Amino acid sequence: MEICGLAVSATQRGKLISAGYTSLSSLSSVSPSDLARDLQTSESQATEILKAASHCGRLDKSDGGHAIVAGAQTAWDMLHEEDLSRRITTSCADLDKILGGGIACKEVTEIGGVPGIGKTQLGIQLAVNVQIPVDFGGLGGKAIYIDTEGSFMAERALQIAEARVEDMSEYHDFVRKNFQVCQVQMQPQDFLKNIFYFRVCSYTEQIAVINYLEKFISEHNDVKVVIIDSVTFHFRQDFEDMALRTRLLSGMALKLMKLANKCRLAVVLLNQVTTKYSDGSFHLTLALGDSWSHACTNRVILYWNGNERYAYIDKSPSLRSTSAPYSVTGKGVRDSASNSKRIKMM
Amino acid sequence: MNPETLLHPLLPTQKCSFNCPILDRFLHGGIPCNSITELVSESGCGKTQLCLQLLLSAQLPLSLAASSLYIHSEFPFPLRRLRQLSHSFPSLQNPLDSIFIRPVHSADELFDLLLQLDFSLSNPPKTQLPIKLVVIDSIAALFRSEFDNTPSDLKRRSSLFFKISSKLKSLANRFRLAVVVTNQVVDFVGSDDGLNGLRVGNLGCLYSSGRRVCPALGLSWANCVNSRLFLSKDEEVLSEEKSLVDVGDDGHVQRRTRRQIRVVFAPHLPESSCEFAIAREGVFGIER
Repeated sequence: MEICGLAVSATQRGKLISAGYTSLSSLSSVSPSDLARDLQTSESQATEILKAASHCGRLDKSDGGHAIVAGAQTAWDMLHEEDLSRRITTSCADLDKILGGGIACKEVTEIGGVPGIGKTQLGIQLAVNVQIPVDFGGLGGKAIYIDTEGSFMAERALQIAEARVEDMSEYHDFVRKNFQVCQVQMQPQDFLKNIFYFRVCSYTEQIAVINYLEKFISEHNDVKVVIIDSVTFHFRQDFEDMALRTRLLSGMALKLMKLANKCRLAVVLLNQVTTKYSDGSFHLTLALGDSWSHACTNRVILYWNGNERYAYIDKSPSLRSTSAPYSVTGKGVRDSASNSKRIKMM
Repeated sequence: MNPETLLHPLLPTQKCSFNCPILDRFLHGGIPCNSITELVSESGCGKTQLCLQLLLSAQLPLSLAASSLYIHSEFPFPLRRLRQLSHSFPSLQNPLDSIFIRPVHSADELFDLLLQLDFSLSNPPKTQLPIKLVVIDSIAALFRSEFDNTPSDLKRRSSLFFKISSKLKSLANRFRLAVVVTNQVVDFVGSDDGLNGLRVGNLGCLYSSGRRVCPALGLSWANCVNSRLFLSKDEEVLSEEKSLVDVGDDGHVQRRTRRQIRVVFAPHLPESSCEFAIAREGVFGIER
């Protein structure tokens, strides 16, 4: 489709054509800041143009008349959307690789492991990493952190954010040398401002907050990740009626899945492990029982292998079951030390 | 109450100092408020000593005068030692007046006490300083005797763990308390992979007095604490001195106890350890 059909002002259309954007497809893979530079306009105007273009593109496709059932999408559209949507990096290359590039939006990912394996560290890391600006390959979003155990520490989040800013400014220097992009730096404190921190002290509070999230997110744009650390804690006490617990949990799971899909954000649930007795021996399994394992799209189990931390994809509709090492350092979650040594030797 | 009220601003965590610069630096300022810190060790490593010192140092600084509560299940309470330690805090006036001591004899009694505590913290008497520190010494003594090794008892036990921990955490959050619990160890039998291939924390196994040990109360309790610190001691033979000084025929060698405190897991601390010593004046960190 030609650019002439685009619902923007004539001057902008002129600028677009003179900058070489003659078809809608040429606009499909350009970022707002690049477009703003090419057209010499403000970024907000560029975003408007891109919005108009994507709207136009969607109308164009729906002319095909596939919408037999209202609200349905073709698999092709969904695949296209998934390819375009960015993933939240974990700051560990191996972990990103087995996760297919990071934590996916519109999905519920459950991460479980023994105490001290680094669940909370991974949670804080994701709350920071979701804020990496779009120009640096991130999502430029905000985070909601629901803390049920009291393990979130602002000082640790600040430490991780400081390391992130350092990494970004290194990348920034590298980019500036090549393309002379000018960019306002994010300060570590800004990262903390963009983490909405809920502290819940009972399962009723936990359910109330989850019910409230949709309203909260509609008031605070750009929330791209919801982290619950841990989803388990308040559900492991005081439940005489296990059927009630199962009902509450599956209701909560449904709400979280709906939220992930509707608001296009990633939901990360941290879970504890427990021992399960079967076939005459005890072995480790994630808490909350068998019916809970349907609650998430992806399931990652963290475990010790010798002195190294490993992550294993236990369940996923699209990823292979593999494992990868990672480490927790002063800077946050990083590549495993022994692994980077190996690369150096090669 | 609205869900909106559960949204908290991110503030730096307050810490309860040990009144020792080296230990405080090791723990990034001391015991964090608003969370549960567990001290694990075999008997005689210094858990109670550290707790007693905390009871006194929690009353500092004077401008933020506070009191502390000590719940004990191991008897008797070392009153004389507390009095001796209080001489190391000359700036405090009558420090023992601000330390409340309460014995408990069973896990259920502890839970009832926490419910009472909720009430008295919400309606503080005007004559009394606000409580800033709660110490439970020890949680293990309450749980190791009362429960059998049957599935139903174990289930009741872990349910009680989560009930107590949740109540403690909610009190800690509402009243900005630092909570310290102490735990005992059990001998570790089995392969290097840990119990049933399970390893809690970042240490392969813990050694104390040359024995392999692991914290008591198992995996479900480990899920209930925010930070776990491990204290150990080892007898060290001072061999250099032996060669210098003639020790005679009785084979007497000089020995010294080396004590160490280690971070097993904590959300804000890296894997690290620090040596410490117990003297008449109190517990001190030693810089190597």
